[in-house]
Amino acid sequence: MENKASLYNGKLKYGEMKKRDIKEKIYRMLVFVGMMGLWHYLSIKLASPLLLPTPKDTITALIKSATDVDILVNLFITMKRVMKGFLVSLCVGIPLGYIMGLSELIEKMLSGIIDSVRQVPIMAWVPLTIIWLGIGDGPTIFMIAFSAIFPVILNTIQGVRSISKDYYNAARSMGAGPFSIFVHIIIPGSLPDVLTGARIAVGTGWMSVI
Amino acid sequence: MELRVEGINKAFINNGKNKEVLKDISFEIEKGQFISLLGPSGCGKTTLLTIIAGFQKADSGLILVGENKVTKAGPDRGFVFQNYALFPWMTVKDNILFPMKQIKMGKAERQKRLEHLLTIAQLNGQEHLYPHQISGGMKQRTALVRALATTPDVLLMDEPLGALDHQMRQSLQSELEDIWLEDRTTVVMVTHDVDEAVYLSDRVIVMSRNKGKIVADMPIELGRPRNRKSKEYEEYKNKLENYLEQASLVTEE
Repeated sequence: MENKASLYNGKLKYGEMKKRDIKEKIYRMLVFVGMMGLWHYLSIKLASPLLLPTPKDTITALIKSATDVDILVNLFITMKRVMKGFLVSLCVGIPLGYIMGLSELIEKMLSGIIDSVRQVPIMAWVPLTIIWLGIGDGPTIFMIAFSAIFPVILNTIQGVRSISKDYYNAARSMGAGPFSIFVHIIIPGSLPDVLTGARIAVGTGWMSVI
Repeated sequence: MELRVEGINKAFINNGKNKEVLKDISFEIEKGQFISLLGPSGCGKTTLLTIIAGFQKADSGLILVGENKVTKAGPDRGFVFQNYALFPWMTVKDNILFPMKQIKMGKAERQKRLEHLLTIAQLNGQEHLYPHQISGGMKQRTALVRALATTPDVLLMDEPLGALDHQMRQSLQSELEDIWLEDRTTVVMVTHDVDEAVYLSDRVIVMSRNKGKIVADMPIELGRPRNRKSKEYEEYKNKLENYLEQASLVTEE
């Protein structure tokens, strides 16, 4: 019922929290420095800038391209596409997730299709989407939305399913109808999982940019 | 008669076998009475309570609240869950207001009722907290006044103090009694605790593991608040302990 871990954390003194924070940061820094050291050592040993450039060269190149206007403009375009695809996946995925989460029949009807379509490698869609949507933003947005929609659907279903039966019964015994139950119980009760789905969706959407 | 339970039958299918949980259960409750359904675990008392609440249907039989036949859950029967089932995304205040909004109570009336309920539950000043921020006792009181918010004809409670330790239970029993004495709603409470049943009830119905068969139906004629140390109190407890022992014996057919 209660989240024991968070209760316990709540009782930690402020000072202890701070100390733990600092410790964590130091460890993270150590890992980072260690990785850099290893990288540097290996690139010196290999002595081939083409196969493995040194970290210093890489970082210089990164800074150079990050300040390049062309690249920034392109980055902005990509971000816009990701956002569009992400929004499409939310607009389609969340309602679909709710319907499937609420109706076992519809879930059974659709899960077969969804699970098989999901397995198609994203690259296999490229020629098809170009034929369907032409060259331009269309195929890219489609593919971003396509890969982002599954975590949205699956997490929304999970969110709806995770709501305790007691909440439904409680609401009904207080006179709530289906609409009120949807607005006051199902939406807030599933929200944490829906947001998790959305967060994963941004990640997968970003990864499927081509 | 406020509540009539008439010939309730209920069976579940378990591992392909039909298991009768309740067989021909009948009783009547007068208005303003506090009734306990006492029984060992697995005697079907909670099943019966959820049937009265309308959360599930009986295979046959009838539940009447006043003149009305129960067909589904509704605000004429308040329900207090064992784990309270407070909505974690709503504050104490919004939890208590929720049922009043559902039955479209006017805003002024709602506010007045809210203040009254917060006062009797001693929750004044805590109404803006969320359920995870308050103690077990406060949750219990919130759940109780939330169930009472719509002034239901019958209040149903499923082991409302089951999750608490002994000390806490005793002090909450008297708090529960105080709140109940405010408007003496008809109550049906499920419990497996003899002491709790004697302390709170006007009448105790003991159900057995044998298809929920009622093995005893005993009025508790003691003044309130009850003295747990009195001789009569002890006697009631002893009698009920004996019935409960009897009720725990499972007779296989």
